Amino acid sequence: MSRPLQTISTLDRVIHEPARLMLVALLSSVESADFLFLLKESKLTKGNLSVQLSRLEEAGYVEIEKTFRGKIPHTEYRLTKKGKSAFSQYRKSLGSILE
Amino acid sequence: MNTQIDNAIKRVRGYWFIDGFTEMAIGGFFILLAALLLLSGSASPATFSSWFLSVAGEISIAKFIGIVTGILLLWWLKDHFTYPRTGFVRGKRITAVQILVIIRNILLFLLVPILGLLAASLFALSASSVLASIPVWFPIGISFIWAVFFALGGRWMDLRRFPVLGGLILLTGIAIGTWQLAIGLPTFPANIQPSISQPFVIEIVNRTLASLGFLVLISGIILTISGFIIFLRYRKENPSPYAEGV
Repeated sequence: MSRPLQTISTLDRVIHEPARLMLVALLSSVESADFLFLLKESKLTKGNLSVQLSRLEEAGYVEIEKTFRGKIPHTEYRLTKKGKSAFSQYRKSLGSILE
Repeated sequence: MNTQIDNAIKRVRGYWFIDGFTEMAIGGFFILLAALLLLSGSASPATFSSWFLSVAGEISIAKFIGIVTGILLLWWLKDHFTYPRTGFVRGKRITAVQILVIIRNILLFLLVPILGLLAASLFALSASSVLASIPVWFPIGISFIWAVFFALGGRWMDLRRFPVLGGLILLTGIAIGTWQLAIGLPTFPANIQPSISQPFVIEIVNRTLASLGFLVLISGIILTISGFIIFLRYRKENPSPYAEGV
């Protein structure tokens, strides 16, 4: 097997799933975003979005911050250092495969 | 796939402009500045220094009040209108290194028109004709710089309307420069005295401020109209705040 093809097996499976890849890509360009923003941008269902965010949180790629905006509870999601590094590595690997 | 990821990232960068409020705020600020520039009257040799100090003071106050009011208004509008509809995003913090790189790039970019003028005065034109033609090239130069910023910003944030806005502003600058050329350039006397309050210098100052005033005014109107159209589209696409279970 050629080296680029071998790289496919090393791709991060947590990020490689399309819905999670989209969420990580969205979060990579901001400091943090709330659930509604991710819902609107990703066009996922609420249930699916919750599941995918939980999966990313379990992997240590996303951290959740619960705050209040006025009296309304507000949840923000942000990529952790580990998440940023994993996404950057994923893009490099993907780039080398597709070249 | 990397291209699709890049496009998604660019689109999120432009989230600040999704509702049109930012363009309307910048446009309103420009109209306020233009009103000050155009309504501040004309300088005369006798009153130049007091007139200049008065205009500079008014513009500084307007800038400060306009920027602070604009930021507070934007903050309130987004908090009450945009975030309940399409969500909240906290932009990335800009690091000190990034700020230094931006300043360096702006300075390098500003060198281009300065070097162009120097080349023109050295090889093609006399210093007096370069000075006399300030009302012509100044609005064109400023609009060109803005057009480049709009084009680069549009590319960075995947906002296709930005290069169009930049193009319209550049056309406005060219039109104002052409108008100034058409009404004739200020003429220099045979013996030029080293004084800023000489009539021909005052004429250059007045006409340059008028050029700048019209450029800022028309640019402000263009940005306000663009922001309003974007706002109408955003409101149509997101008529009511997001509600659970809807």
